[in-house]
Amino acid sequence: MDTNLLNMILGGLANVVVVLLVAPFFQGVLRKVTARIQSRQGPPLLQPYYDIFKLLGKEDIESGVSPVMQRFATYLSLATILAVGCLVPLGFKAPMNNAGDAILLIYLLTLSGICMLLAGLAAGSTYSLVGISREMMAMLTLEPLFAITIVIGALHTQSFRLDTVLSGAVYQTAGVPVSGLIMLGVMLLSFQAFVQRVPFDMSEAETEIMEGPLMEYSGPKLAMFKYAQMAKLIVFSGLFIGLFVPWGSELLFPFGWILFWVKVFILVLMVTVLAATHARYRIDQAIRYFAALLAVGFVALILASNGF
Amino acid sequence: MLKNLCQKMFGRSLWVYHANSGGCNGCDIEVLNVLTPYYDVERFGIKLVGSPRHADVMLCQGPAMRSTSKALLRAYEAMPSPKLVFAIGSCACGGGIWFDSYTVIGPVEKVLPVNYYIPGCPPRPEAIIYGVAVAVGLVDKKTAPVQFKQLEFPIPQYHPSELNGEGDLVIYEKTEHI
Amino acid sequence: MSVMSKLKETLVCLNAGRVTLPYPAQAQPVPPNFRGRPIFDANKCIGCAGCANNCPAREILVYDVCQEVRIVKYLGRRCTYCGRCADVCPEKAIKISHEFENGTNAVSDISQKLDIFMSTCQRCGRCFKGAQVLDELKMKGYRFDDLQNDRWVFRSQAYLEGEPVVDDIKIELEG
Repeated sequence: MDTNLLNMILGGLANVVVVLLVAPFFQGVLRKVTARIQSRQGPPLLQPYYDIFKLLGKEDIESGVSPVMQRFATYLSLATILAVGCLVPLGFKAPMNNAGDAILLIYLLTLSGICMLLAGLAAGSTYSLVGISREMMAMLTLEPLFAITIVIGALHTQSFRLDTVLSGAVYQTAGVPVSGLIMLGVMLLSFQAFVQRVPFDMSEAETEIMEGPLMEYSGPKLAMFKYAQMAKLIVFSGLFIGLFVPWGSELLFPFGWILFWVKVFILVLMVTVLAATHARYRIDQAIRYFAALLAVGFVALILASNGF
Repeated sequence: MLKNLCQKMFGRSLWVYHANSGGCNGCDIEVLNVLTPYYDVERFGIKLVGSPRHADVMLCQGPAMRSTSKALLRAYEAMPSPKLVFAIGSCACGGGIWFDSYTVIGPVEKVLPVNYYIPGCPPRPEAIIYGVAVAVGLVDKKTAPVQFKQLEFPIPQYHPSELNGEGDLVIYEKTEHI
Repeated sequence: MSVMSKLKETLVCLNAGRVTLPYPAQAQPVPPNFRGRPIFDANKCIGCAGCANNCPAREILVYDVCQEVRIVKYLGRRCTYCGRCADVCPEKAIKISHEFENGTNAVSDISQKLDIFMSTCQRCGRCFKGAQVLDELKMKGYRFDDLQNDRWVFRSQAYLEGEPVVDDIKIELEG
C-alpha cells in the first residue's frame, strides 16, 4: 500500500514534468510547420520556451474587475491541465488508476474548460465577455463528446478504471466495433476544437476580439495561460491516442515510449495542417457542426448500450 | 532570477503592438509587409499581438495628434514593464510633412519616450527589419551625425546674445542654439 | 470540408519552398531609381538655399553666422525622401543615395551640418553676390546693353551695317 502510494506520487510527478518540458516543443513544431506551409521560414523550434521565459519576467499589471479572481483563474487553469496530465498515460501506464478514475477525468476536463470562463469574467472587459460567451456555447456542445467516448469505453469493458478505458476499450465488442469506429470518426472531426486551434478558436480570436478572455493578463499570468494552452495539445493527444490508437504501448520501455511520442507528433502534424489551411468558423456555424456531431455521438451511445 | 532570464530572452521574442496615431497608413502597409512571408519577421521571434498588455514593443506611426495623444499615452501605460517604443516613419520621428498642421502636436516623442527611430516615408520593409535588428543587437547602426567645415575659420563667431556684460566686462558665453 | 482539396492546397504551398529573403544576413539589391537618404557634398555647395526653399517638410535650415560663413543644417527627422532638394540644387551637391538602413536610437544621428565659406570681394571685403539662380534662369543669354537707360535692347543698329530688321520681333531701336 505504501509503495503503491509512492509509485502513484512519483508517477504523477513524472507525468507532470514530462508535460511541462515537452509541451512548448510541440507548440514550436506547430508554429514551424504552419510557417513552412505558408512558404516562409518561421520561428526557431525552441521559440515557445523563449516566449514563456520572457513572459515570466515581465511586470504583472493587475487590472480588471477583480484581481483575486484573476490569480485564482490563472493558477486553476494550469493546475487542472496538469492534473489531467497525471491521469493520462504518456507512453507508460497512467500513474493514478486506483478506482473510478474515468469519471474524475470527465470532470477535470470540464473544469479546465470552466477556467477560461473564470478568467474572462475576472477581467471584465467587453471583449473578454464576448470571448467567454462564445466559449460557453462551444463548451456546452463539445464536452459531451469526450464524455460519450469514455462512457462507451466503460460500457464495453464494464469498468471505470482508467487503464482499461484508456487502452482501446471502445473497440472491445464481440463483432465489428461499430460504436468505436463511429466515435473515432467523430473525435477526429472535432479534435481541433478540443485543442482550440484554427477552425474553432473563436473564443480567442486574435484579430477579431483582441484575444478575448486573455486580454487583460500580462506577464507571469499570461505565461501560465499560454503554458496551459500548450499543455492542452499534449494532454488531449495523449487521451486520443489512449482511447483510439493504443496499439504498441505494451512494448518494452524505450520502444513503447518512442512510439507514443511518434503518434503524438503525427497527431500534431494533422492539427497543424488543418489549422494552416482553414479559416475560422463563426460561432453559429461551429455550434451547428458540433450539434450534428453530438447527434451522431448519441446514436453511437445507443448502439454501444445495446452491445454493438 | 526571473528578471535576469527575461532580460536574456527579451531580444529573442519581442511581442509587438501596433499603434497608429493619425498617420496616412503608408507605414502601416509597410509594417504589414514585414509580417508577410517575403520579409518574414517571425523568424526573429516577433509576433503581432492585439492587446498592449501582452506586448513588449509599441510600434508608433503617424504624428502625435491632439485627438489621439491621450489614447496613445493610455496604451503606453498599459504595457508591462520592460518595454520599448519604436517610432516608425518620418511622421513619428519628427512630425512628418504635416508638422505644422492644426491638429498635430509633433513627433511621438512629445508624448512618449521613444527608444528607436526608423525614418523613411514610408521606410522600406528592409529598413524596418534593420531598425529592429539594431534594437535587438544583431547588427550595428549605420548612421552617425555628419559635420563638415569648408574652412577652419580663425574668425570667432560671436552672436550678440552670447555677449554678456558691458564695456570692459564683456564676457563671451557660448551657447548652442540655432 | 473536403480533406483532399486541403491536402492538395498544402502540397502546392509546400512546393513553393521558402520565399523568405535572408535579410539582414545578405543585403538585397535596390531598384536603380530608389530614393534613400540625401547626402550633402560640402565641396560643391554654394550656399544658395535652393534646397531649403524647396523642401516640402521644411527640414533644411540655412542661416548666416557671420558674413563669410553660412551654415546649412539638414535635420533628417521629417525628411520624406522626395528628392526635390537634389532636383533643384544648381551644383548637384545633393546626392540621393541608396541608403535606407537608417534605424537608430538617437535621432540626431541623421543630421548633417555643413559650414560653407561665402567668398568676399578682394577689394571691398563684402560678400560677392553672385547671380541668383532664378535670375540666371530668366536671363540666360540676355544682357543689359544699355546700362544707363536700363533697357533691354535685342539688336542695336550700332553693330549692324544695313541689315534688315526682322518684322515679327518688336525691337526697341535707339534713336
